[in-house]
Amino acid sequence: MAHLLREKGFNTFVIVGGLTAWRKAGEPVESVPQNDLVKLPTFN
Amino acid sequence: MNLFSLMARHGYALTFGLLLAEAIGLPFPAAIALVAAGAAVAAHALWGPYVLFAAITGLLLGDTVQFWLGRYMGWLLLGFLCRVSINPETCILRSAESFYKRGKTTLVIAKFIPGVNTMAAPLAGSMKMRFWQFLRLDFAGALVYATTYLLVGYLSRDFLAAILRGFHAAGLAMEVVVVAALAAYTIYRIVQYSKHKVYRVVPRVQVQELAARLASEEADRVLIVDVRSHGYYDSGGERIKGSIRIEPNNLEEEIKNLPKDKDIYLYCT
Repeated sequence: MAHLLREKGFNTFVIVGGLTAWRKAGEPVESVPQNDLVKLPTFN
Repeated sequence: MNLFSLMARHGYALTFGLLLAEAIGLPFPAAIALVAAGAAVAAHALWGPYVLFAAITGLLLGDTVQFWLGRYMGWLLLGFLCRVSINPETCILRSAESFYKRGKTTLVIAKFIPGVNTMAAPLAGSMKMRFWQFLRLDFAGALVYATTYLLVGYLSRDFLAAILRGFHAAGLAMEVVVVAALAAYTIYRIVQYSKHKVYRVVPRVQVQELAARLASEEADRVLIVDVRSHGYYDSGGERIKGSIRIEPNNLEEEIKNLPKDKDIYLYCT
C-alpha cells in the first residue's frame, strides 16, 4: 500500500513495528471511534 | 513405501489422521489420501463404510475445533489464517462477506475450494452460526467431499496402479522431474523476493523519530494513517492517537481524500 501511495505522489513512510512498537515506546493511543468499527456480518 | 501401500496397511488411522490434519488447517494431502483409500477399498484391502466413517469423523472433529476457536478467538485466529493469503489485510472481510453472500450452504462445498476450506469453519464460528446447524451442514460437506474422492480412487484403481508402475519404471525420469520442480520453485521464490525488494524503496521510520517530529513545529505536516482491516472489527480496539483510517478494501476511493501536502506515516499491527 505504501508503494502504491508513493506511486500516486504521496510522500509516504512506514512506521517500523507498527502499533505494537508505538505502544511499547509508551506513545499515546486512543480507542477506535465507534463510527470506524466495522462489524462482521453474523448469521444469528 | 508409497501412500497406496501405506493405505493398505494403516488405512483407517491414516485416513482419520490426514483428514483431521487438513481440517485443522495443516497442509496435508487429504484428497490424495482419500483417493488412495478408495483404491485400497477397490482392492479389498479396506472396507468402504469404515473408511468413510474415519474420514468424516476426522473432518468433523477438526472443523469443530476450528469452529469453536473461531467463536472464541475471533479475529485473532482469522487474522492468523489470513496471513498465508495473498493479501492479508483484505482477506478476512472479503472471506466473511463472500461466505455470508453465498449463505450457509457454503459449508457443503467449501472443502472443494482451497482457502475457503480453511476459513469456512472458523468463520462460521465467528459469525455466530448455531453449532448444531453448523454440524449438520458440515456433515453434509464432509460426506460429499469424502465420498467424491473415495469414488475417484475406487473407480480409477487400475489407472492409479498403472501410474505407480510407470513411476517405478521411470525412476531416472522422475528424478529429473523432481529436480525441475525444485528449480522452478527456487525461481518462483527469487521472483517473490525481488517483488518484496520493491517495497524497500518506501522509507521506514522508527517510532522515536516520528514522536519527535510530532512534538516539533512540523507536527501539522504529519498525517498518521492506520491501514489495518481486522484491527477495527473487535470493539475495544486501539489506534495511534490522532491517526485516521484507510480502508484497504476501498483504497482507490480513500486516496482521493488524502492530502498531498503532508507526510503520510502508515502503520498496521
